[in-house]
Amino acid sequence: MRDDIGQGKIILPAKITRDAVINIRALLSHPMLTGMSRDQAGIPIPAWYVKEVEVIYGGERVAHFEWTSGISRDPFVGFSLRAVKEAPLNVTWKDNKGGVFTHSADVKFTTTTADATR
Amino acid sequence: MGDSLSRRTFLKSSALAVAGLAASASAAAAAPLLRGPDNEPDEDVKKVLHERFGTRPIREGHVTLDVPDVAPDSREVPLLVESDLPMIADNFVKGFHIVVDHNPDIYLAGFNFTAAIGAATLDTRIKMRRSSHVRIIAETSKGELWSTSRFVYTSLNGCV
Repeated sequence: MRDDIGQGKIILPAKITRDAVINIRALLSHPMLTGMSRDQAGIPIPAWYVKEVEVIYGGERVAHFEWTSGISRDPFVGFSLRAVKEAPLNVTWKDNKGGVFTHSADVKFTTTTADATR
Repeated sequence: MGDSLSRRTFLKSSALAVAGLAASASAAAAAPLLRGPDNEPDEDVKKVLHERFGTRPIREGHVTLDVPDVAPDSREVPLLVESDLPMIADNFVKGFHIVVDHNPDIYLAGFNFTAAIGAATLDTRIKMRRSSHVRIIAETSKGELWSTSRFVYTSLNGCV
């Protein structure tokens, strides 16, 4: 069995300015098994997949996804977010076997030294 | 030598034929009028749509789906969805729904948004059991339904 299940990351753009619509990419290591395949001994492999994903930005739920096992293994999702505040962005994946995985990234505005002194 | 030449000619012509098929497939995708009843959901799909959306009309437009015509790997078919519908506080895209006609779960996933995300875009990867229509339905906060569909050719069963 893979030992990386539940690992993941949230990727934010390198530069974020206030009120810009930014692209968020969220990746989780998960087998996403449909329950329709069999192992080498012919024994059915039970379904194991992420059912629900929540995106929380500064305490507010901005998006949530309902998935079936039709989403590919190591599920990837890219979506937009309007960066209105500097706050943590948490993404929580919940699977059908009770697994809960949360990863986060901090939305921070890019300030150059020139901006700061102006 | 003569043998290998004729083999080469054969390969070349069959490659051309395949290219021609792919071209006609994409031409059909580009011209919705030519697609005609092929785009019509079958009874199972209609049932799923009815359970989700009731009797609300699902109109074509305002959503774009970028997906390969021929999926190289049916376990990981990349989808890129965008919408030109407004994304403001009292009028926004509440969600994108993915429907794949010939998958075990016809309703594959729902991506629900709030106006806080600023733009309705979605980038993900799905599994496909066999060649099928992939439908995207955008639901607005006012309850309107806009859709688009593309036919995607696959080879192996990707629903593992």
